[in-house]
Amino acid sequence: MIIRNIEINNFRNFAGLKATFEPGANIFFGDNGSGKTNFLEALFVLCLGRSQLGAADNVLVKQDSDYYRLEGEVAAGDNRHRIAVAYQKGSRRRLAVDGVTARPAELFERFCAVSTGPEDSVILSGPPGARRMFLDMYLSQLSPRYLSELTDYHRVLSQKNAALKNEIDPAPFEPLLISHGARVMVQRGEFLNALKELSRQYHGEIAGGEKFTLKYEPSVSLSDENNTGPGEIELAFQRTLDEHYEKEAYLRTAIVGPHRDEIFFEIAGLPARTYGSQGQWRTAAIALKLGVYRLLKDRRGGAPLLLLDEIFAELDSNRCDRLIELFGEFSQLFLTTATAPPPQLITNGCCYKIVRGTVENVS
Amino acid sequence: MFNSAGSVERLINQLARLPGIGRKTAARLAFHILKSTREEAFELADTIREVKEKVGFCSICYNITEEDPCKICRDPQRDRHTICIVEDASDAAAFDRVEGFKVLFHVLGGRLSPLDGIGPDDLKIRELLNRLDDHVKEVIIATNPNVEGEATALYLSRLLKPMGIRVTRIARGLPVGADLEYADTVTLTKSLEGRQEIK
Ligand SMILES: [Zn+2]
Repeated sequence: MIIRNIEINNFRNFAGLKATFEPGANIFFGDNGSGKTNFLEALFVLCLGRSQLGAADNVLVKQDSDYYRLEGEVAAGDNRHRIAVAYQKGSRRRLAVDGVTARPAELFERFCAVSTGPEDSVILSGPPGARRMFLDMYLSQLSPRYLSELTDYHRVLSQKNAALKNEIDPAPFEPLLISHGARVMVQRGEFLNALKELSRQYHGEIAGGEKFTLKYEPSVSLSDENNTGPGEIELAFQRTLDEHYEKEAYLRTAIVGPHRDEIFFEIAGLPARTYGSQGQWRTAAIALKLGVYRLLKDRRGGAPLLLLDEIFAELDSNRCDRLIELFGEFSQLFLTTATAPPPQLITNGCCYKIVRGTVENVS
Repeated sequence: MFNSAGSVERLINQLARLPGIGRKTAARLAFHILKSTREEAFELADTIREVKEKVGFCSICYNITEEDPCKICRDPQRDRHTICIVEDASDAAAFDRVEGFKVLFHVLGGRLSPLDGIGPDDLKIRELLNRLDDHVKEVIIATNPNVEGEATALYLSRLLKPMGIRVTRIARGLPVGADLEYADTVTLTKSLEGRQEIK
């Protein structure tokens, strides 16, 4: 997927601007606080109708304004589409593709984008919710069915939680919790298995010798880790629910299910969350996102948009060089940097300067 | 705003209690009523009063009716071996329009939704169980095909199956996320033909 152009209105610190882009590398310079990250966020929201930072719409609206609007042209294969995302404070976000109103899930079905930035360290070092957010954002792009199962699962879950709080019998919701939950878990298991191998490869290419691995740790304990079909998971889910029946009634909250899933990461043989350094977390996050990019590209039959925010900031020069060597693989990427980018990048890319909410092509 | 706005404020508050009406819309409706003629406004008020005075619930099936028992429950031509369970009176009306589907109904008066504080005791489920006698051979559960409707269907089927009654669920041919009450008759007919026994 290639973004041809974008028009931004009242988004973060941008009052109004238009920009056009080329395939290959698009490099954005600018001081800290100039709005480089905001610019990448606008591209991400244009593709998927959601912020990669998890920011709510009212946060995205420029101060002193009451709406934002993004519109742009993307090319996917031989097709070109105009996407528009608009939000007015107090109402719902509206999405349109080629002038026709689109459901939120539709953008996930038709377009895809992968982003990595300083905020990604939390995937390795932060609370479990950060890892599930990563999982859901990218697995939803890989499989529209996952997004719909997940949406239903969360609906059932909030009904069960409300039942526990209001002392209504939650039992009628549990068969649905189990069936939607099991399908969510099956897909998470498959996704993380595929991602484990790919991210290990990318990590090796960027970090040299250091080993990186990950493991899916579902909240439902499986008696046989090799048997992870839907049937086996449903049984295990039921069993774990039964075991926690009294505890859930006492806590008045559902504590069993994929909303409590975890991913365990290990860097150089040590648990990443407790022992990692900033540089290791960043490298691992980039390897994960490149792995996701590969999976999306292979399975959806089209390259996703790739957004790289300040990727050189916390990596040593060896890792930077090896990362740049990988860039040939990507059809279009957007990259920001506060420092001067390596010269070999500039020769193959288009350069833009961001100053106080404006973008200027300087190549 | 002017001082005598107490009654306006009260009207807004009352309208805002209606389902799907936020405060903003309630205020707009209230001002629309204020601007309309006396006749128009009184007609609305009278209609609301009339509906509450004349229309009630059937003591058998809990459908809305002006006479008790309702026309459907009194109709001797109906298939009295089959009861179609629906969430609301509007769903019963939609199914009743389907050609050749002249059965009895039972209106639950909602769906299981703890988020809205609705549990089994808040639905006409005990009343349903009291109705089931040897005449009833099949119960068709026609709750909406969403999370709450499915949970309600599962709950009912677990209550009814041990009683030896055939329990079926309308097919999934219905558009996901759609409301039964707005589904066209063709879709409803298909969903009835494709109904399946709940396992
Ligand atoms: Zn009746």
